[in-house]
Amino acid sequence: MSMSLTITNLVKKFGGLTATNDLSFTIEAGQSVGLIGPNGAGKTTVFSQVMGEHRQTSGSIKLGSEEISSLSTPARIRRGVSRTYQVPRPFSDMTVAENIRVGLMPDSVLGMILKGANTDRELELALSVGFSEDDLERTPAELSMGDLRKLEMARTMATDPKVMLLDEVFAGLTVAEIAMISDLVQKMRADGMTFLIVSHDLKALEPLVDTAIAINYGSMIAEGSYGDVMASDAVRASYLGEA
Amino acid sequence: MGLRWYHFAAWAAFVGFMFLLPEMVSKGTLRIIIFANFLAVFAISWDVLSGRTGYVSFGHPFLIGIGAYTTAILTKRFDVPVEISIPIAVFVTMIGGLIVVLPALRIKGSYFALITLAYMELIYQLVQVVRPDLTGGTRGMSGLPTLTRGAVNGYYMSLTLMVIVAFGVWLVMRTRIGTALSAIGMNEEAVKGSGLSVTRLKLFAFLLSAMIAGLGGAFYVHYLGSIAPRALFDINFVFTIIVAALIGGASTTIGPIIGAFFLTFLLEYLRPYLPGAERYFIYGGVALLLYMYQPKGIYEIIQQGWARVRART
Repeated sequence: MSMSLTITNLVKKFGGLTATNDLSFTIEAGQSVGLIGPNGAGKTTVFSQVMGEHRQTSGSIKLGSEEISSLSTPARIRRGVSRTYQVPRPFSDMTVAENIRVGLMPDSVLGMILKGANTDRELELALSVGFSEDDLERTPAELSMGDLRKLEMARTMATDPKVMLLDEVFAGLTVAEIAMISDLVQKMRADGMTFLIVSHDLKALEPLVDTAIAINYGSMIAEGSYGDVMASDAVRASYLGEA
Repeated sequence: MGLRWYHFAAWAAFVGFMFLLPEMVSKGTLRIIIFANFLAVFAISWDVLSGRTGYVSFGHPFLIGIGAYTTAILTKRFDVPVEISIPIAVFVTMIGGLIVVLPALRIKGSYFALITLAYMELIYQLVQVVRPDLTGGTRGMSGLPTLTRGAVNGYYMSLTLMVIVAFGVWLVMRTRIGTALSAIGMNEEAVKGSGLSVTRLKLFAFLLSAMIAGLGGAFYVHYLGSIAPRALFDINFVFTIIVAALIGGASTTIGPIIGAFFLTFLLEYLRPYLPGAERYFIYGGVALLLYMYQPKGIYEIIQQGWARVRART
């Protein structure tokens, strides 16, 4: 089952700085949208508001038909929206399997105690992002940046999201790893996952998205097909500076 | 949970050995082990809260003291039988645990540690000033009912308590809740990002820790038959608990037990040579060296040694 994500008149102010300025867009269920913009444009701030890590100053965020902007982060994740982080945040003293296990846990103390770990699902998730069975017992200290991003993907997928926000998933990856993560995203798109993807690797981003949104200084400067957005004067100016 | 027969065999062997110990050692040694057993209970309690979640408490005697004073006041001033006063003491300590969890919802790190230290100082002042007719003021209370007579009985009582607490915590921490609590210690934000309510997890850890601290404090008081605020709310006591957990092996259940026995015996064996506070200098040095050699504690050293032996055979 896929879900839509609707953002309406979203505003986020940090003191005098407006990080998100009256932003509105809808991602239909099963659609994949690229969110682009220069450094500091406010892309990650949009993510953290959708996840509830930062509360918006005003505006609404709907997952499907449900308003989620007043819920806590874990409650939003249980409703079906999940994100990855620009800087992977693994549990450093745990194995790959245990890292994924945390994502699979029910949000209930009794449930955690009474039911054992679902090791089959842990393995399945690990394999789906490209780990081998031997990798399950490795710790984050032994993993490359690419592996850490794979682990982050697996733990995010473990929460069973319907909408996934990917923040710079390609940063620091080798060409082969980019291809692998891209394949994974394509597979999940085929299964109906809704995506909002931030990436500075525009070449890798292009085949993964249906449409694109460009923002700068927290405001939308272009929206439409990927080609149209990239061709837009405002987007070129924001990346390259005014001519 | 990954439970294997040899886990239970190891527990059974440990318990069996400990129960036969009074046949082998002197009464004096037994008295030392009694203190080690209680220290192990306190260290396990501290570890459930601080070793796992990373919320380092410098005020654990606050919780232990609530348990100890509750049962002491109930039995001494209101003639409540011990069988009733101890469960009440545990319950009241868990309410104390709720007070400790409050700052942990907003702050962490050294700020949290300082607040817990303030809690301990606060209760130390309170028991002396507020209603000294109940608490016994600065002098505390003596002549409390004791649960046992003699070293051997005291040993069995403290051992039973320690084994029940240790085995229970060991079982619980082997489940996914143990993984989740450790995850908080490693990266709290990522736990939230995995869809788990960290508030609920912290609440569980603090309540479990408080329950054990209350149990330990209450039984300790009824072993000693007295209570003295200066000895209880003492920074040395805090450090003994923390160091026991750390050099034994934080975030494990066996580690704090090893650490408690190691520390207690170290301090006792130093006593003939260094009767005064200088002992703590040596003990600090030993703890520091051990900690620098293996920050994961003695338990890790034993495990690595065991792995080496197994690799050779």
